[in-house]
Amino acid sequence: MKSFNRRKLISASAILAVTALTATAVPANAFSPKSEVGVSQTEIKLGITLPMTGAASPGYNKVPAAMKAYFDYVNANGGVNGRKVTLVVKDDQYVPTQAVAKTNELILKDRVLALVAPLGTANNKAVAASVNPGKRGVPVLFVNTGFSGFADQKKFPTTYAILPSYVMEAKIMAEYIKDNFAGKTIGLVYQDDDFGTDALSGFKSAGVKFAATVGYASGSQSATTAAGWVTKLKAANCDVVILFGVSSATAAGLGTAAALKYAPQWILGSVGGDATTIKASGVPAGVLYNAVGASFLPATTDTSDEYVSLFQSIYSKAVPGSAFDNNVLVGMNSAFVTVQALKAAGANPTRASLLAAIDSKGSTFASAALLPLNYSKTSHVGYNGYWFGKYSPTGDLKPDGGKYTLYTTDSGSGAVVKSTWKRPAMPAKGLPN
Amino acid sequence: MHKLSNKVRILIFIVIGFAIYLLSNNVDELRVYQGAQVAVYVVGIASIILLTGYSGQVSLGQGALLGVGGYAAALSQLKWHLPIPATFAIAILAAAGAGALLGIAAARLSGPYLAGATLALAVGLPSIANQFTVLGGEQGLFFDVGFPPSSLGADFTQYKWFFWIASLATLLAIFWLQNVMRSRYGRTWKAIRGSEVAAELAGVNVARAKILAFTLSAGVAGLAGALLAMTIGTVSPSAFPLALSFSLLTGAVLAGVTTLGGVIIGAVTLVAIPEIVGSIVNRAGASEAIASNLPHIVVGALLILTVVFVPNGPVEQMRSRRLKNGTSL
Amino acid sequence: MFQFINTLLIGITSGAIYALMALSIVLVWRSTRVINFAQAGQALTSTFIGFQTLHYINSFWVALLVAMIGGALISALIEVTLMRVLLKHSSSGAIAGVAPIIATLGLLEVLQGTITLIWGGADVLIAPPLSNVGFTIGTNTLVFSPMKLAIIIIVLALLALLSLIFQKTSIGLSLRAAAYSPELARLAGVRVDAVRTLGWALSGATGAVAGLLLVSNGNGSFSTASMEFSLLLISGFIAAVIGGLESVLGAVLGGLALGIITSFVLMYVSDSLFFIAPFVILLLVLFIRPQGILGKKGGRRA
Repeated sequence: MKSFNRRKLISASAILAVTALTATAVPANAFSPKSEVGVSQTEIKLGITLPMTGAASPGYNKVPAAMKAYFDYVNANGGVNGRKVTLVVKDDQYVPTQAVAKTNELILKDRVLALVAPLGTANNKAVAASVNPGKRGVPVLFVNTGFSGFADQKKFPTTYAILPSYVMEAKIMAEYIKDNFAGKTIGLVYQDDDFGTDALSGFKSAGVKFAATVGYASGSQSATTAAGWVTKLKAANCDVVILFGVSSATAAGLGTAAALKYAPQWILGSVGGDATTIKASGVPAGVLYNAVGASFLPATTDTSDEYVSLFQSIYSKAVPGSAFDNNVLVGMNSAFVTVQALKAAGANPTRASLLAAIDSKGSTFASAALLPLNYSKTSHVGYNGYWFGKYSPTGDLKPDGGKYTLYTTDSGSGAVVKSTWKRPAMPAKGLPN
Repeated sequence: MHKLSNKVRILIFIVIGFAIYLLSNNVDELRVYQGAQVAVYVVGIASIILLTGYSGQVSLGQGALLGVGGYAAALSQLKWHLPIPATFAIAILAAAGAGALLGIAAARLSGPYLAGATLALAVGLPSIANQFTVLGGEQGLFFDVGFPPSSLGADFTQYKWFFWIASLATLLAIFWLQNVMRSRYGRTWKAIRGSEVAAELAGVNVARAKILAFTLSAGVAGLAGALLAMTIGTVSPSAFPLALSFSLLTGAVLAGVTTLGGVIIGAVTLVAIPEIVGSIVNRAGASEAIASNLPHIVVGALLILTVVFVPNGPVEQMRSRRLKNGTSL
Repeated sequence: MFQFINTLLIGITSGAIYALMALSIVLVWRSTRVINFAQAGQALTSTFIGFQTLHYINSFWVALLVAMIGGALISALIEVTLMRVLLKHSSSGAIAGVAPIIATLGLLEVLQGTITLIWGGADVLIAPPLSNVGFTIGTNTLVFSPMKLAIIIIVLALLALLSLIFQKTSIGLSLRAAAYSPELARLAGVRVDAVRTLGWALSGATGAVAGLLLVSNGNGSFSTASMEFSLLLISGFIAAVIGGLESVLGAVLGGLALGIITSFVLMYVSDSLFFIAPFVILLLVLFIRPQGILGKKGGRRA
């Protein structure tokens, strides 16, 4: 009797303690009831979840600092209608459970106005299913994944894609192969999940025939497994090989192929094509030399580009000693577009006015990309195209023939066409009105 | 030792249930969500207590069994459109089946061998999802228990609904577990844990008892997996990482593996430590890398300290101290 | 045929590294009857020590030596501060049998968190000291490179050294005595505590070599969260069990067998089965020959 009672008592008191804790721990609402969540007189609070540590973090963990660098630049120049933009960063270690937990903290505890540039397909799917920002009316701006599904407004009403989808990338790559490597034996290495199957469906609809396809399970990529890929590709005599995976897979494939003296014409997908990350993984720059890569932003070494040179100077001051690579450029560009969306949302932005502003004015937002944004009431698709180039002997991606040729398409059955769009001049000092 | 009658126990559980109901109405949504997390951990930890505390076997791969449960629930909903309670039942059965298989293997092993085998399982099993397209690959599958019924009111949140479901399932599971542990089987397991040889001499079929423990424990783990899948809305290999198995084991050790009484302590600790450490770190202005790694260090250190100084858990410790002092409540 | 040879060579090289890890696990097991699951974390920490050394002295071989010493010290420290206390405290109670295992898991968390705090989560690089470009036969390039050859030579050398120590000195015997019957060993004049610490130190040094070779077998990049290190731990453990947990030679054979089998699974069956393969192999071994390749009967119930 005694012991059982005590056991219950302990459980009960534990529960009571938790009750007391939680009751006192609820923060008083810091915002006056009139103003929107995440917006005070002096501040606009945004949040991001992404892998800052863990196996998937290399390269991507530079994004928050890059975004903050640009926000701080705007803040130092008057902010957004007098308010400072702050970014709350949460590390989800690329685990969906963590992404859900951290997003809940961002929305319910930190009370951010919107989520910006959250990374990862599986993570964003879990967040959409559990946290359900769509139902809460919380904007999920510019998700850092090319999974074509996120542009589906029915399923993800408040989510905006920004990267061209993997389907688009595959279709455009197919066109490039037709133009440049007709008649060659083609091989493909892809990640065996939505990321890869999205691409596979793109290649299929473009009619590309592969002599060998190697799907790898996410997380299995290593020098050892890559030896398997290379052996298969070699056996099929592939002389053009597309590496459509994350950076670590690209690096493993390139490094191992070099060790096996296998040197086909490489074509690297944009996700895993960041030269700095590949080189940091131990692949000599020489191996990257002459590989084909794709991007929708200007080359990171193209200092004649007004955006690149401004972003570079802002970043090098904010994060001294850190290389200005494609992840940084993507991050700063997202921040740049975010600031315009906030400004377009009116003097006292709300979640609703932010969403409405992107729907109505998003297609006119300036950005560093060489393609327009495609936002409207009926489209949450961001960029829709790529240019191709080759990696220089030092491992920098440079456009073919020194000038950018942009191909564009859609995630459906639309044709691939060359873009004639001209990017407007950058707003003065990189500060949009 | 006197035991409470079933009637009194049912009354106690109803009171706890009512307390949880009141709690859910008086805290904000984040706490309700964390409450659902705590409930998931309570069930997961209880499954380990049944296994380790009562039959002396150790599993470092409980997360994999949660995965089996989560996938079973999601699949049965996607393929057969079963109602939610039925998906939970499928989750329990599927995981129990996996547990029985594992138990057959485990009955031949003990100590480090079993630990290593279950560890290998925890690392290996989730990747199976990549092998079969029906399991959705790395992106996994959706698992949607639906919106709360409209009769509960328009401002009844999704997480409150999760919390209610999870709490109810947890209370039922714990009640049932107590029954099992008070039964003949519970005593048999305790005898085995005490001394396998002695139990065998007393006529206990040790292998069969161990397999049964593994099966029941896995079934409970399967329920935890379905509840976890519910709270995150999806199942995917990365939702059941090795870290999950370690967390549950940590929670069980912190709770004390010999009694269900402390299970809430383990679960609350697992949810609270990252938040407490995180807010301290944030207040100190340290980086996100510290905020996300310091909890690991704290939890790991707590685990070591508990094993060394309070190996039977805080509840048992207090109880034995009281017994020693001869005081009564 | 060529693919077959390449697969075999890949398997032998990874197998050699697994064997080292297995050896590291066996050394601890023989001295204290504990499976140390923190060993992957220790190997990773030692590898980072090697990485840090390369900042000051640009020689892989010096870094390897420093990492070995660092690994040995860390391991010895764990034995002195944690294991001694633990084995004294947890000799009774519900979880006495598994307490050391759980404690080493806690240690793994602490180690992993600590090195992430020190070195950050990003990928770092240790350039392999020798070329990883494969040898060429005719027009075909083998997966086998000077670096891989060096890995195998290093493993063989370490194995020879350890066997020599065990055979020519009384350390091996003392280790066994200290583990099986510390009281009797003490009466027989064995300095049990010192012998145990020595076993842990040797294990730490061996694990450090495994870590650095693992990294050099690939592109040289790794991070605090490298999946390869979890795999290394599990493969090492399984290899040790296959070998019977007691024997140095058994660990090596177990490692090689595991490396070769997983390599063939990878190349000829499927990528996705790569992670589950070690588990299946472990179960098969435990069912067919529970005492391991070289183990003695009845050794399973530790």
